[in-house]
Amino acid sequence: MARYFDVRHVSGEATNIDIDNGVVESATTSFFDRAVVRVLGPWGWGVVSVDNYRGADLDRFVAEALALAELTGEEVALADAPCRVLPVPPPSDDPRSLGLEEKTALLAAVESSARGAEVRNTRAVYTERQETVRFASSEGAEYAYALGRSGYSVLAVAERNGVVQMGFERRHAVNGFPLRTGMGDGEKARETALALLDARAATGGRMRVVLDPELAGVFAHEAVGHASEGDLVREGNSVLAGRIGERIGGPGLTIADDPSLPEFGFDPVDAEGVATGRTELVKDGVISAFLHTRETLAAVGDGQAGHARAMPGEAPLVRMSNTFIENGDANYDECLEECGTGMLLIGSRGGQVDPGRGMFQFNAEYGYLVEDGALGGMVRDVSLSGEILGTLHEIALIADDRRMHQGYCGKGGQSVPVGDGAPHVLLSNAVVGGSGRD
Amino acid sequence: MDAIEAIIEGAAAHADEAEVYLSGAESVGAELSRDRVRIGQAGHATGLGIRVFRDGRVGVSSTNDPSRWEACLEAALAAMRLADPQPWGGLPGPIDLPERRLAYDPAVTLEPGKVAELLEGMKEGALEHPAASVTAGSAVLSRTRVEVANTGGLRYADEQTHASCSVEAIAGTSTGFEFDASHALDLDPVHVGERAAFFAAHGAGGEPLAPGTYDLVLSPLALAELIEVVLAPALVGRNVHAGRSRLAGRVGEAVADPGLSLYDDPHLPMGPGAAWFDAEGVPTHRVDFIRNGVLAGFAYDLRTAYRYGATTTGSAVRGGYGGAPSAGFHTLVLEAPVADVTADEAVYVRSVVGAHTANTITGDFSVEVSNPTFVAGGEFTTPVSTAMWGGNLFDLLGAIEGVSAERREIGGMLLPALRLGEQRLVG
Repeated sequence: MARYFDVRHVSGEATNIDIDNGVVESATTSFFDRAVVRVLGPWGWGVVSVDNYRGADLDRFVAEALALAELTGEEVALADAPCRVLPVPPPSDDPRSLGLEEKTALLAAVESSARGAEVRNTRAVYTERQETVRFASSEGAEYAYALGRSGYSVLAVAERNGVVQMGFERRHAVNGFPLRTGMGDGEKARETALALLDARAATGGRMRVVLDPELAGVFAHEAVGHASEGDLVREGNSVLAGRIGERIGGPGLTIADDPSLPEFGFDPVDAEGVATGRTELVKDGVISAFLHTRETLAAVGDGQAGHARAMPGEAPLVRMSNTFIENGDANYDECLEECGTGMLLIGSRGGQVDPGRGMFQFNAEYGYLVEDGALGGMVRDVSLSGEILGTLHEIALIADDRRMHQGYCGKGGQSVPVGDGAPHVLLSNAVVGGSGRD
Repeated sequence: MDAIEAIIEGAAAHADEAEVYLSGAESVGAELSRDRVRIGQAGHATGLGIRVFRDGRVGVSSTNDPSRWEACLEAALAAMRLADPQPWGGLPGPIDLPERRLAYDPAVTLEPGKVAELLEGMKEGALEHPAASVTAGSAVLSRTRVEVANTGGLRYADEQTHASCSVEAIAGTSTGFEFDASHALDLDPVHVGERAAFFAAHGAGGEPLAPGTYDLVLSPLALAELIEVVLAPALVGRNVHAGRSRLAGRVGEAVADPGLSLYDDPHLPMGPGAAWFDAEGVPTHRVDFIRNGVLAGFAYDLRTAYRYGATTTGSAVRGGYGGAPSAGFHTLVLEAPVADVTADEAVYVRSVVGAHTANTITGDFSVEVSNPTFVAGGEFTTPVSTAMWGGNLFDLLGAIEGVSAERREIGGMLLPALRLGEQRLVG
């Protein structure tokens, strides 16, 4: 017998425009329709993913999922959790009000503004997804909502005397249309690429570093967020397991995840029908909660459900949404001054973490040497790595200028939109990697 | 008239040419949480991709609801009208291809019991190293069918099977990971479990590494992670001509050690991307990229080839039914002089953390090494707690000191372990 079942059905349209070196390579709309049916059998889950879902087939898929649940031997329990859907904020600027042709023209303007002397390639990509999500469960929960996400990226590749460097800018929004105001980003990408032609390869080593809000946000995501995911904690695959109440950083360090914020990782309700809200992973330097689905909350405790997310047609996993370091009481100038000699790292080319081992690594887009508290020469291809448990103690100053950035996070083969953010932070001892040599 | 014929006929009224790509996949799988099965899964996927052409303009659209093909065709035609025209010489016509399936094993049937056996095998293997315990694992069996058709009368179909299993283990805070994947039901789950547990157990108690210069041995997995991000994109024609490849303009030049060769072998039976035809119906063949250290050429699909006056290499691939096909690789093989790569002491790099943060154009990378350990005399010796490694992948191609005789399938590649001289590591 099924103890529980739910169905999450997502349908919609995706628009993609790609302009490469002035040529409109593609400007297209596609259609998707996927559903996932989950059934809790006597022990664990049976899950069926279906393309082109029709509600009339639900009974058949529930029966199929129930049969698959017979494979399981792990007793899964579901914690009770409040079911509530937040209103979706009205679009600040609705991309659906423009046709494909107008969007293509706007993107072309961004792409052409990245061109210039020594720039040998420019490329701009626009993506837009309009989704309608329908959810129903055997407990009587039922909701539907529609949500749009859109954004763009622009790349400039510059070359001089065989040295090739790139500048990259991106901007995405939930229920907004950042492309309309994106004109400055092409120039910015070009300027970064040109400046990096003169930058030195960073020389690795241990040093003091200041992270800009974008990179510090990735740091919060990689170093703390993943290891706080309840499924990893349950599996024993997180260095944070069993450490609730332990001090991990100084007073004043608070790291939270909040899917109810209308940032890029916004979810009006989570992927198993649970109300979304703020979870403080680290509160005043102390590990205080994990991120949970109903299942991991029942198994692990410490935290709240409402952090289940899924790509269309996939089984929900514990995921981050909008993850950020709260503002501190210092400012940017104080961070640089206190840094003395070290590096300022700017922007992110992504990161990765091994939560069980507690090691993380991520790359900045570029950086500057810091000498006597002042910015010096530009450096490129610089990365930061470290241990989760040790590195947070190295946060010496937290500024008061938090900004959020948009990205995508991968886990278990699923990619979901996330917002990461932080103010500038100073790390008093960090492992910096680079390909340069003294 | 079936759906494909209806779409072709509908498209022909509005476009010079049209192509239909239809895919379907059925799968069954299960996942472990620690040592118990937590979830059993099945998937039923369908996808339809339509591409239309007129006067050098191309439009694409896709849907996973083939009954909505008319809306999909309409969207593809709208996209075609917006695209900038480019030189275009037409879709391929049909030829006779071998009927033998290259990537199909009838033993891969979608039975939950077979999935359970794979999971049990991995658990059994992990028991060989009691210091480590399994944290998560999965096994999946799938069967896919693809069909490509176009207005030139081409209509090819292929059926493939796939089996995979993977497991993660931990000992203290030392983690280990292993996997196996094949078109055939020839996985060795016991070995997969044993290796994951071994790397977890072996890495426990690793010592810090003094910063300095070391010889490295890259496992096939670590090599694949770097090639995928830096070298593979640099060999794709579109990146080359758009100014996004460091190898642009260097055909005929030495770009690697004289013994190194890199080629795509799509006809290798059971090779990861084995296929007689590519994603746009062009017959496949071996493509040499680096021959004895000299850059020999790049991968092209039809569109890039027509635009830049090159010839397609039958390298079109699709990430799924959506989007347009683009040039890629079927089964990328790396060969170099074989040596006993683990005889002399070196730091063994099992995999790297953060390869995707590498600079895809310049090849500069800075990564954290997973499961670093010293290796000597063919044995893993002292484990290392952590190491950061920075370098440039294009430069590494000239610093190879030999590769292992054994090769391993990783993603779409068939790779050996590879020894590098004098690399700088930060502990």
